[in-house]
Amino acid sequence: MELSSPAVGDPAPALALPLLDGSGSVRLEDLRERALILTFLRHAG
Amino acid sequence: MERIEAAGGLVVTVVCDEPARVRAGLLRGVEVAHPVVVDIDRSTYRSWGLRRASRTSFVTRPGWIADYALAAVRTADRPRRPGHDVRQLGGDFVIAPSGRVALSRPQAGFDDRPPAGELVQALERAAREGSVL
Repeated sequence: MELSSPAVGDPAPALALPLLDGSGSVRLEDLRERALILTFLRHAG
Repeated sequence: MERIEAAGGLVVTVVCDEPARVRAGLLRGVEVAHPVVVDIDRSTYRSWGLRRASRTSFVTRPGWIADYALAAVRTADRPRRPGHDVRQLGGDFVIAPSGRVALSRPQAGFDDRPPAGELVQALERAAREGSVL
C-alpha cells in the first residue's frame, strides 16, 4: 500500500538515516526544539 | 542560510543514491554546511509518501533524450545498481519544533519545487510558533 505524504499539522514520520560522510546519523526526534527544512532530492539520474 | 540560522532553524537534505555518486555528481565542488543523509533503499522516501514520476512525465521532460543518452553511456558496462530508480521524486517539508509538519510539498513532477523563499518563510513562522503548532 502506498503511503501519502504527511499533511500540515500531522506528526512528522520518523527519520533516522546515516550521514553522507559516514560520520554518524541523523534522527528527526533528536532535532526537536528546532524548526527544520527537510528536503528530499529526487534521484540524480 | 542567514535567515534560517537567525530563526534557529536547520536544513537537512536527504539523497537516495550511493554516497560516492552524490559526492562526485550532485555535490561535486560544493561545500555543504548542513547535514546530508542517505536513504539508499528509499524506505524513508516511501514512509514520507514521496512519489515516482510517471513514464509519461519522464519522456516529456525537457532534455530527456540527452539525459537518457548520457545515462546509457554511463551505465553501459555496469550492472544496474540496487535501488536505482530514475523516476524517484523528492519533496520539501518544514517541521515545527513540536515535531508537526508546517509545510508539505511532495514533488508532483521533476521540476515541481517550491521557491526557496516559501520554505524559509514557513520555517520562520514555525520557529515563531514553536511547539504551539
